[in-house]
Amino acid sequence: MGVMAERLGTDLQALPDTRDFGSWVTSEQKRVFLLCRRMLQDAEEADSATQDTFFKAWQALSRPESKVLDDPGKWLTRIAVNTCLDRLRSRRWQFWRKRPNSEDENTILALAPSKNPNAEDEVFANQIGERLERALQKLSLRQRAAFTLRHYEDRSLGEIAELLDLDVGTVKVHLFRALEKLREELHDLYFRERKNK
Amino acid sequence: MNHWTETDFQNWLYGLRDEDRHSTECPECRREIERLRQERRQITAEPEVPQEFLTAQRRRIYQRVESPGRNRNAIAWRWALSLAMLLLMVVGITIQQLYRSPAPISDEQLFSDLSSIEQTAEPKAIQPIHNLFEQ
Repeated sequence: MGVMAERLGTDLQALPDTRDFGSWVTSEQKRVFLLCRRMLQDAEEADSATQDTFFKAWQALSRPESKVLDDPGKWLTRIAVNTCLDRLRSRRWQFWRKRPNSEDENTILALAPSKNPNAEDEVFANQIGERLERALQKLSLRQRAAFTLRHYEDRSLGEIAELLDLDVGTVKVHLFRALEKLREELHDLYFRERKNK
Repeated sequence: MNHWTETDFQNWLYGLRDEDRHSTECPECRREIERLRQERRQITAEPEVPQEFLTAQRRRIYQRVESPGRNRNAIAWRWALSLAMLLLMVVGITIQQLYRSPAPISDEQLFSDLSSIEQTAEPKAIQPIHNLFEQ
């Protein structure tokens, strides 16, 4: 443990604000895990993708030739997105893989904290959220990645293009196609209230 | 000018449509835009992740960072196991090919042999006696 603390406590030159790796992991971990979970829709796999992401980051950062990063957060997101895309690609061949059980998922993740005083509304919102997550499986890998980054992370199209290594026009096409496939779920998500009123 | 449709609002939410003069001037569409902004903030609020889960995950990350060799060994073992399996399969198939029993005679072949025996005037057993006299 002593050696571990020594290594993790080392300031990595590529991290601009002289933070050590350990505290950087702590500050970014939840965000990376949630991104992986949203992309993979499986908490267990997201857990392992998060570990892979930080391990890859560590390997890259500890190389002597690594340069100071302008935006370590964005760089880490890019690693996480690529790790998830790789996993989704290899998942296509895993025909024996069972679908994640939503009850198991809920034991790992507590649902969103209540911001809505009306419990019924919250349950309904959660149900739509789950429906939306299931509907993401209808999307291609790039569509899913673009939609996830826009919907959950509120990234601009330029940022998404940079993260996915695509041009903005292609991101727009992916997002447009994703929206076409998710219109029904998005309608219930955003416009149900208007109809109820 | 017409109000924005639901599709317009959805496209705007996802960055596929910019606001236009109507959406900035029409109070009804403006209200809807503000409502959607707020709704979106609530919908995409980060869910709680239990602290114990994060701590355990961090421990596993640190372990991997600390002993990258273990990870490399695991990958090497996985490759070695796959190669061994492949080798076993190749050896198995080769052995099977080598010791394969002769192919059984088909019914067609059997009938044609029988009919050729039947059609010869002399039985085959006479042939050695013929040979004796010929010498």
